[in-house]
Amino acid sequence: MSKPVPLVKLDEKEYIAAANQSCQGCTGASVARIVAKVLKDKMVRQEVACCGPAFGNLEQPSIYGEVFEGAGAMSTGLAHAFKRMNREDAIVTTIVGDGGTTDIGFQGLSGAAERNENVLWICYDNEAYMNTGGQRSSATSKYAETTTTPVGEFSRGKKERKKNVAAMVALHRVPYMATASIAYPEDFIGKLEYAKNIKGFRFIQISAPCPTGWRFEPQYAVKIAKEMVLSGMWPLYEVINGEGFRITYKPKELKPVKDVLKMQGRFRHITEDEIKDTQDDVTAYWNRLIAKDGKEFF
Amino acid sequence: MPEKFEVMVGNKAVAHVVRLARARFISAFPITPQTTIVQYIADMVANGEIDAEYVTTEGELTAQASAFTAGAAGVRAFTATAGPGLLYMHHPMLATRNNRVPLVMALMHRGVKGMDPDQTDMMAQRETGWMMMECESGQEILDTGLMAYKIAEDERVRLPVIFAGDGYILSYTDEPINIPDEAKVDAFLPPYKTTIPLLPNQGPESKAYQMKAWSVGRDPQASFQDDQQAMENAKKVIKEVNAEYKKMFGRGYGNGLVEEYKTKDAEAVIVAMGTIASTGRVAIDRLQAEGKKVGLIKLKTIKPFPAEEFEKLGPKFKAMGIIDRNISIGSGGWTFGEIRNAMYELDERPKTLQFHAGLNGKEVRVQDIMKIGEKTLKAAGGAKVAPLVEWV
Repeated sequence: MSKPVPLVKLDEKEYIAAANQSCQGCTGASVARIVAKVLKDKMVRQEVACCGPAFGNLEQPSIYGEVFEGAGAMSTGLAHAFKRMNREDAIVTTIVGDGGTTDIGFQGLSGAAERNENVLWICYDNEAYMNTGGQRSSATSKYAETTTTPVGEFSRGKKERKKNVAAMVALHRVPYMATASIAYPEDFIGKLEYAKNIKGFRFIQISAPCPTGWRFEPQYAVKIAKEMVLSGMWPLYEVINGEGFRITYKPKELKPVKDVLKMQGRFRHITEDEIKDTQDDVTAYWNRLIAKDGKEFF
Repeated sequence: MPEKFEVMVGNKAVAHVVRLARARFISAFPITPQTTIVQYIADMVANGEIDAEYVTTEGELTAQASAFTAGAAGVRAFTATAGPGLLYMHHPMLATRNNRVPLVMALMHRGVKGMDPDQTDMMAQRETGWMMMECESGQEILDTGLMAYKIAEDERVRLPVIFAGDGYILSYTDEPINIPDEAKVDAFLPPYKTTIPLLPNQGPESKAYQMKAWSVGRDPQASFQDDQQAMENAKKVIKEVNAEYKKMFGRGYGNGLVEEYKTKDAEAVIVAMGTIASTGRVAIDRLQAEGKKVGLIKLKTIKPFPAEEFEKLGPKFKAMGIIDRNISIGSGGWTFGEIRNAMYELDERPKTLQFHAGLNGKEVRVQDIMKIGEKTLKAAGGAKVAPLVEWV
């Protein structure tokens, strides 16, 4: 299991270009920055269409395919090539948004997970297609207003629940599956350190609030990420080999979701009934996770 | 394994290409009539004849995309498909070309209207910038596959190749095939070594290549010009490789681009590809036995299109009957357009007639091609023939 790593232990070297095209307060860029510092020169990056190529101009070698749906496939090819070339020291890493993971890339994700490809998949989850201007994805939270789920007389924002891709990946019984949050970097680094030393398919879905798409001032990005964890909206856990389930950070008492919802412009329209609906959903899921903590995942 | 003859189907000949070329990454997803290719390869991997990463993907898109990156990382890669599978590969096929990965892919033609063979699958991928070579027998499949790697990996080219055969007709028909000696093939086709590393600690070099491939920091059109130049270079390289193969193994296919069959003294010629060219040979034999001066031009390489060859061939004949087992709806046949385009600047051009034959698997008989030959000969004699475009 993973152990939190203090921030001071992180490599001081910067691998990310100081000038990049991220928005102010972009937590996706922080994800790429941390991943690059942990994996260092072992990392070979496979890129797909997402904010990643814009914010993540990293020093490490990369190949860009212009194949949005292809992260699972293209990382598969790299992993096998390196095995064949006796270069399994290379850590094939793909840093993909939630659309490229839960929607258009889902088939390839499931295929790569089922074949247990030797790949590290980092999904920075900003809950919409942010690179194209904030359209809903299956990872968007219920009631969130996006540019394709606008609020109007006949619409209350996104109608559906967020797709639980973390659980789906864990059900493939991959060697490692974890959730993380940009507000808990020690936990995230610990999970990366654990993942980098094992072989097979490893998946980390990290909550990366997007000031532009979620409509809040850039300085609140980490605070919102933190409040999501503290309210139970974003549980931090890991599943090893699809069996060993462990919550890696347990708030003593959950804060109400209302506070964190109200911090985001995308939920500005939300009613008390809708908050209650969200709260009930979060509480029920949290209780199910707590009941499973330290036990079998399924 | 030393040289030997074996009676086998075209799909098994493809598996021998993979074995002899020592491909090290194979992505496999089944589709009729390609399916037994991936089965034969699986058998060869299982019994140790092929030593490679054999990845059974969850679809053709993944088959193409994974072969693309495996090839980009520096291993010799292979995949195979047919019809709808080829269509599903479209998006990553462009990535393979854009990144100039010398991937080789076998295609067993299956048209876009159903299960039966025609070239409408490949025609739908005409603009992907892949080289495309047609075969008319299982033997030609085996030989073309081996040549394809050498052509693709040549630094003057560095483009992916499709080598294709008509589904069912070639994929499932037995014929005696010569399997070349392994050591001889090794001498012809040395191990692949990429000049563009994509490995840890080699960031700047791989970045530099990526930037070139995508025109980053260059004239935005520059990488397209590079790709076009590579295709032009390929014409020369294909001829060289075909000649070298013929010297080493005793078999070549025309000059690698086109092959003339009994064109001496011919006033008219039929132009055909793939198995229609085989049937065409019999039709030409019969026509010439009747004293009719009709020959055959077999088009072996359709991409790059051998325009210069047709500039040379044009003035030699009075009429060309061009058979297309394909159509671009709204435009016409693939080779008909290309050939007329190639001959436009000639002072003396032959008359050109278009024939659509064999689409959706329609049988093309010897007598059908004889009729095509007779009509073309009539046009060569100066007679007005109608219609210009005929569905046989």
